[in-house]
Amino acid sequence: MSREWTLVCAADKIDEEDVYRFDHEGKTFAVYNTPKGFFASDGLCTHEEAHLADGLVIGTVIECPLHQGRFDIVTGKAKSPPVCIDLKTYPVKVEDDQVFIQLGG
Amino acid sequence: MSEDLLRGFKATGAESSGVVVEKKALKQLTKRSDAPGLRYLAIWAALLAGSGFLLHTSFSLGIWAIVPAMILYGSILTVPAYSLSHECSHGTAFRTRWLNESVLYITSVLYLEGPYFRRYAHARHHTYTWLRGLDAQMPFETPVTLKGWILEVSNIGQYLYDFPHMLRNALGLYRQDVLEFTPASELPKLKWEARILLAIYIGGAGAAIWTGALWPLFYLAIPRMVGGVTMQLYTIIQHAEMEENNPNILKSTRSFSTNWFGNFLYANMANHVEHHLYPTVPFYKLPDLHKAVADQVPARDGGLFRNNARILRAVLQRAFGRTTELSEKKAA
Repeated sequence: MSREWTLVCAADKIDEEDVYRFDHEGKTFAVYNTPKGFFASDGLCTHEEAHLADGLVIGTVIECPLHQGRFDIVTGKAKSPPVCIDLKTYPVKVEDDQVFIQLGG
Repeated sequence: MSEDLLRGFKATGAESSGVVVEKKALKQLTKRSDAPGLRYLAIWAALLAGSGFLLHTSFSLGIWAIVPAMILYGSILTVPAYSLSHECSHGTAFRTRWLNESVLYITSVLYLEGPYFRRYAHARHHTYTWLRGLDAQMPFETPVTLKGWILEVSNIGQYLYDFPHMLRNALGLYRQDVLEFTPASELPKLKWEARILLAIYIGGAGAAIWTGALWPLFYLAIPRMVGGVTMQLYTIIQHAEMEENNPNILKSTRSFSTNWFGNFLYANMANHVEHHLYPTVPFYKLPDLHKAVADQVPARDGGLFRNNARILRAVLQRAFGRTTELSEKKAA
């Protein structure tokens, strides 16, 4: 994947304290709207690969829908068992009310 | 366990059961708050104080008063401790994380299972609910035998499971099932929590014996054992005599009807099908989740007593050589 910015969706498509599933080139990503802004990470939990887009955003924390393991959305750091492997994060920008994600690298 | 079942396996839950709640509605149901959990703690404290006073008074009245008072106090001590430790292990009891974790650690001491051990074993239970050989919390052989039923309902089964696990974990001699459901990097945490729990139990018992204090025996140890029976009467009907090796929660899990007091003791876990469908929904929203999925899940068939009687009847039928629906399925 290139380092170019890839369009995800319109910013207003993701509610505040919510997460959006973005599938691209055979991979799945989770894009978050938090009180600290928009962020993105791999879309599957590092524990048992549940879709984080089905999870719960609490401030800047994403909670997995399957076992309620928690990650810091900003850093991807695993915060609570059963998750113990960090989540890969991606740069995000919002331009003209559109959310972009920088993949690759 | 069938290889066919595991091919392309999806964790047991709403998706594997064909149940759907629209995303916006689910988001409302999963929202967290501290208030319901704090209210629960306050009611628990009040009921403990009230029933503890009754127990205290009963000691001067004789055995006819002590037995019911002990059952009441023991149930109020033990069942909510189980319910809260379970809810907090999901991280759903409170919005504030330190509050959730504090209550988890305190109630885990009463429940007799370390928080890390509980979280990893219970995660496996939710991924593979009632799938033989995979579910880490299938406590007895199925269909349950008379011996298995007695061990389970007396709560002796929990002691025989948890204390050896705790001792082995404390020594770093993990059983194979523990190694399977716990990431290697987390094993030292299991070791240390087991050591801390054992230190609390052994140190507490030693201090009570050293000082001659009897209150830990009459207000903690004996009530915990008595209340353990009530706790098991609630938990055994979650899955016993339901279908095993079926990823459909509607077939493997049972919800049941109960009253206000039962819903309090069990923190709404009578909605057990609903909990397994969407474990992110906190206990205080389970009645709302039940309404949201009522047309997609089986109607409830009885409450605590009828479902326990149903299980005991099947256990006794098998003990006397008669077949039951579950034994026929297993034989087939």
